[in-house]
Amino acid sequence: MAEPTTEPLVSFRSVHKAFGTYVAVKSLDLDIHRGEFIALMGPSGCGKTTTLRMLAGLEAPTSGAITIGGKVMNDVPPHQRDTPLVWQSLALFPFLSVVENVEFGLRMRGVAPKERRDRAMLWLERMQLKGFETRRIDQLSGGQRQRVALARSLVTEPEMLLLDEPLSALDAHLVIRMQGVLTRLQKELGITFVYVTHSQSEAFAMADRVVIMGNGEIAQIGRPQEIFRGPKSRFVAEFVGRNNILGGTVKGGVMETAQGAVPLPAARDGKAEIVVAADRVTVSGERPAGAAIRASFLSEEFAGTGIICYFETADGAEWKAQVTESQLASLQPESGQEFWLSWNADSAHVMGG
Amino acid sequence: MKALSGLGWIYLLALFTFIFAPIAASVIFSFNSDRFPTLPLGSFTTDWYVRAFSRAEVWTAIGNSLIVAAVTSVVSTFIGFATAYTDFRYGFKFKQAYLALALLPPTLPLVIMGLAMLAWLSQVGLSGTLTGIVIAHVVLATPFAMAICRLRLSQMDPSLEAAAWNLGAGQWAAMRHVILPFCAPAIVSALCLTAAVSFDEFIVAWFVSGLNRTVPVMILEILQGNVDPQINAIGTVVFLTSMSLVIAAQVLIFRRRRDG
Repeated sequence: MAEPTTEPLVSFRSVHKAFGTYVAVKSLDLDIHRGEFIALMGPSGCGKTTTLRMLAGLEAPTSGAITIGGKVMNDVPPHQRDTPLVWQSLALFPFLSVVENVEFGLRMRGVAPKERRDRAMLWLERMQLKGFETRRIDQLSGGQRQRVALARSLVTEPEMLLLDEPLSALDAHLVIRMQGVLTRLQKELGITFVYVTHSQSEAFAMADRVVIMGNGEIAQIGRPQEIFRGPKSRFVAEFVGRNNILGGTVKGGVMETAQGAVPLPAARDGKAEIVVAADRVTVSGERPAGAAIRASFLSEEFAGTGIICYFETADGAEWKAQVTESQLASLQPESGQEFWLSWNADSAHVMGG
Repeated sequence: MKALSGLGWIYLLALFTFIFAPIAASVIFSFNSDRFPTLPLGSFTTDWYVRAFSRAEVWTAIGNSLIVAAVTSVVSTFIGFATAYTDFRYGFKFKQAYLALALLPPTLPLVIMGLAMLAWLSQVGLSGTLTGIVIAHVVLATPFAMAICRLRLSQMDPSLEAAAWNLGAGQWAAMRHVILPFCAPAIVSALCLTAAVSFDEFIVAWFVSGLNRTVPVMILEILQGNVDPQINAIGTVVFLTSMSLVIAAQVLIFRRRRDG
């Protein structure tokens, strides 16, 4: 990974956070660079939200140090930081009008009424909310509220914006549109976005770098493509994408598995696990040459990009294969029917590498 | 919600008649020219009001009641709000005990409370003073104020306060610009309700008031002397005052809020 050479905007150094006996974050080391869109992603309870809240000063690390712009921030209270957060619930003030909500940060910083109104109006215009300034929050649609929340966070022109699952309450079609709004905004402003989500489609669609977290630790950091095609552990492979995992012992470019021997030229001898993405699996009735295993058909599911067929191997492992509609029509699979699942031996990713 | 059946309406009507008939009778007889409350009614008169409100002690009592109610409502609403906010904001050991203790006073028998207050206030030299009545009434009214404020705080998105900090508001600024505006309807409602609790309260006030009588205590003393419709006239005014306060409180709490 090509690291930018400038000093990072944010550094977590051995940051540990415990709530009583519950450890939310074990020992976090992470650099966030100026101007990058970084996504913290993981299942619930993985520590991603706690990490974000520590960055905003809403939680204090139990040990370790968090620096922003080279300054240790551990004991700086939230209101003395410039780390606006877009909340999952949006947390707009129901007793204030739209423009008063947007002004709030400027008002707390003692900006004169005239100037703060002007700056808030500029942001409302930028967020295509002109004409809504005197409305109450409950008179807005979900997408409009989202944009008010963004304007309210950005009006103080921060160096960094924190986002905590901001799209989770929106309808699917709005999510795609807001993803566009967010990525464009981030590029235009050139500021750092730290985006927490459990949704891999959101993280992979928008972020420059994705941090996969699990059980209070970083499981993998990388560009979306790197993580998607090269998961380092079983946890990441199962969490991102539709991956099939096969384990066995490699000897001389062949892996002995519970499903028989499969060629694996890339691996060194010894125990190994490989990941085969569902879109790289071919389903056929006859045994093809190369890497293939036998599995019985379970069911199919229509996904946006194709059809996912689910299979089960003799030892109970689930396999997924992505097929097109015409392939499905020619296969005519029935439940329990056995097929060969094959892949190009070079497209299998060896984990731990 | 299911609509009421015909029988349900009759039941409801009977219930309200049962509750309000004595009050209605009192109001009606306050405008009746006869000295004793008998049917048929005499002629319409406002004479009893004129007579009742030309007595100096009535005005003194009303003055006392108003002062006590006003001070009680402000003090108990302040304490009630602070108690509710503590509950909302902080988790701590023995929190359940803290809440139980805070809600305890209305469950005590009022006679016991009155006796205890009398004993304690005379120890500190406040028995028979308006300050003493205020202290006793604050103890009685604070749990109501706290309950109302707690209800409102429970409707608040817990992120709202943190959002204010996040946007540059310190603790006090967040209190002033977010928590208080959000709780404003509940606070006004608590002011009304605690004022009504104090204005109405008889038993404890009777124990601790001494010569500084409040309206309910004065009514009893007039009643002990002689029964005449002046009592009905004063009662009607007291009833209207209390009802207005309670209704105002109810409207503020249960108004269909669009921001809830």
